[in-house]
Amino acid sequence: MRLEKCWFCSSTVYPGHGIQFVRNDAKIFRFCRSKCHKNFKMKRNPRKVKWTKAYRRVHGKDMTQDSTFEFERKRNRPERYDRNLADNVLKAIPKIEKIRVTREERHHKNRMKGKKEKLLKEAVKELEQGISLVKAPSVLQQDPSLTLPKIKVKVSQQQSEENRAMEE
Amino acid sequence: MIQPQTHLNVADNSGARKLMCIRILGASNRRYAYIGDIVVAVIKQAVPNTNLERSEVIRAVIVRTCKQLKRSNGIIIQYDDNAAVVIDQEGNPKGTRIFCAIARELRQLNFTKIVSLAPEVL
Repeated sequence: MRLEKCWFCSSTVYPGHGIQFVRNDAKIFRFCRSKCHKNFKMKRNPRKVKWTKAYRRVHGKDMTQDSTFEFERKRNRPERYDRNLADNVLKAIPKIEKIRVTREERHHKNRMKGKKEKLLKEAVKELEQGISLVKAPSVLQQDPSLTLPKIKVKVSQQQSEENRAMEE
Repeated sequence: MIQPQTHLNVADNSGARKLMCIRILGASNRRYAYIGDIVVAVIKQAVPNTNLERSEVIRAVIVRTCKQLKRSNGIIIQYDDNAAVVIDQEGNPKGTRIFCAIARELRQLNFTKIVSLAPEVL
């Protein structure tokens, strides 16, 4: 029995799960669950639906090219049974999985590089622009401790917490 | 789920284009026909200058249904339309060609001629 891939979300379709739709030109669409089937019936493009694998691949969220994907490939010729080979394959599966996971983690780390600084920068900007909503500008002139000092980000974050406390 | 009054497409070149089911064979008061069942149908639309004419009553075997078909191995198959193949009293197809994919269940029901003519058996 073969483990197929869902046409919509690219997850594995296990035996007994999901549904197959055969179009009149004999193309088969396999779906892992009714969610994917419904989305297909609504004529949604899986590349534009955020939770699908296709979207994540297109937008660089997931690894696309990796040698570990080579192992999980559709083979139409059945392999002749060989005890040693089967043994080796079984041993190799967890190893390959481990490599894949570490590579994925690395990819995620690279992707998230600079995210924290960006978020902090945005928060600082928002605070600078929106401080007048919390305190009137005249009050700020009298008590300059409420404005952001011209130092690095770390201090400004503390400042923002103070302001939040004031809001409450 | 084909019942009397259901309109069916024709998946062969017998000359009929549209059928309407008027009776399901096999048992008395049978409600629905599924893939592989024989129905009595009337031709609603036919290709001009062919053996079959409009309002002729014929027998047809269902080859595709929109209703899901469950197999014993857990696969569920659903087709795009309801389609039938026009057959004679012995179960041989009247046409010489079959269009589109048909279900494998027809082979067990001794419609081997139809299965061998089909371009794709799923």
